[in-house]
Amino acid sequence: MKGLLLKDWYMMKKYCRAYLVIAVVFIAVSLVSNDNMFFVFYPCLLCGMIPVNLLGYDERSRWMQYSGTLPYTRAQIVSAKYLIGLLAQLVTMIGIGTVQGIKMSVTGDFVPGEFAVLMLLLLIVSTLTSSISLPFVFKLGVEKGRISYYVMIGFVCGASVLVSGLLGGQQQVEMSPNAILAALAFVGIGVYSLSWYLSVVFYKKREI
Amino acid sequence: MNALEIKNLTKSYPGFTLDNLNLTLPSGCILGLVGENGAGKSTTIKLILDMIRKDSGTVTVLGKDNGDSIRLTKEEIGVVMDEVGIPECLTAKQVGKVMKHTFRSWDDAEYSRLLQKLSLPDNKPFKEFSRGMKMKLGIAVAMSHHAKLLILDEATSGLDPVVRDEVVEMFSDFTRDENHSILISSHIVSDLERLCDYVAFLHKGKLLLFEEKDRLLAQYGLIRCTAEELKALPAESIKCQKENPYGMEAVVLRTALPSGISVSPISIEELFVFMVKERR
Repeated sequence: MKGLLLKDWYMMKKYCRAYLVIAVVFIAVSLVSNDNMFFVFYPCLLCGMIPVNLLGYDERSRWMQYSGTLPYTRAQIVSAKYLIGLLAQLVTMIGIGTVQGIKMSVTGDFVPGEFAVLMLLLLIVSTLTSSISLPFVFKLGVEKGRISYYVMIGFVCGASVLVSGLLGGQQQVEMSPNAILAALAFVGIGVYSLSWYLSVVFYKKREI
Repeated sequence: MNALEIKNLTKSYPGFTLDNLNLTLPSGCILGLVGENGAGKSTTIKLILDMIRKDSGTVTVLGKDNGDSIRLTKEEIGVVMDEVGIPECLTAKQVGKVMKHTFRSWDDAEYSRLLQKLSLPDNKPFKEFSRGMKMKLGIAVAMSHHAKLLILDEATSGLDPVVRDEVVEMFSDFTRDENHSILISSHIVSDLERLCDYVAFLHKGKLLLFEEKDRLLAQYGLIRCTAEELKALPAESIKCQKENPYGMEAVVLRTALPSGISVSPISIEELFVFMVKERR
């Protein structure tokens, strides 16, 4: 699988420079922007799309077919995309985390528990994008997969607005940072693992 | 041992069926798959490599069923597809590094030697290569990990005649080792005629003919005569025929002809075209 990761690394270096520039600009803006989390979360959202974009380039160059002739299992081909995505997401999280940590320390707002929750939330936001999109892409190809992903996101957003509307009047449950961390970690790892499993199942069935 | 054994292989798509294909490629030999576009050559190759699921039949590659341990078997197979499939931003040098971590028996020195022999630049991105250069890089990768079986899908198309000659020579050298075999599909039948020990004709998913090339060329011949002269020949000697402005042309079975009839040698290309037209 090292070969697959190396190939994706070369492709990321070539095709993802724009992501890096946008992430750096947004991280810099987040330093001077007060209480606007958009600049903190947006680079993570973008970063979550990197594996899908790499698959787009793979499809265009017919690498999907070529990799089928190489000594890799379908599970390895899928896993490489999840690993390279996770690597990019971790790097983004560390970048944002470092800057936000420094900013919070300077302004005296640094609370370790809340900071850890924020970091985990950043990681989950970026992994969630690829967790939801990758199974569609591995099943249907990049174009159809992207459309299905947007339909799915629309459906999830609509459903969450509906649910929050229904629960709006109810009392909110107070949770400690440790409990939130555990819940977030559980959800994040669970969704990423389920997504990986579905992608492997779909890709094994796909004719390339 | 046979490098490849295909028995009763069937795969159906809407509007196309690869129907009950039977082929055997003995070790040390080259088998040419000849067929027009859509005949089923690429489908056959994808089924051999387990890239698509067969409906029925068995495929044995290098002595192993292709369903059980195809990943390990692929270590010993070099493949060049009609679209090579290397990512466009990668250079030949980077491709070498990727393949070094892909094949256990990757040979860096052999890869460098082939890049040099085929005049391929080290640091130019793949997207800037001509179609011929792309094919050459695919061939260099396929031949740099001590493969026992090469599977080549239209690998000589897009190459200029000089390079094609060089590449055909490389394939020929490859099978000097009796453990090495090649399955090659091509539209350029003259290349196959030069290279192959066995020839298989595919037409609309059906195997028209599978025979040792030399036996095929010895068995069949071409005669040009008038319609009356053709009628006088034994019906079992005439395999297929066509009319042209100067008379009749027919592919004949030499052994079924009476003695004294003048028969010209036939090329594989002529034989294939005759057989396909006859089917139509």
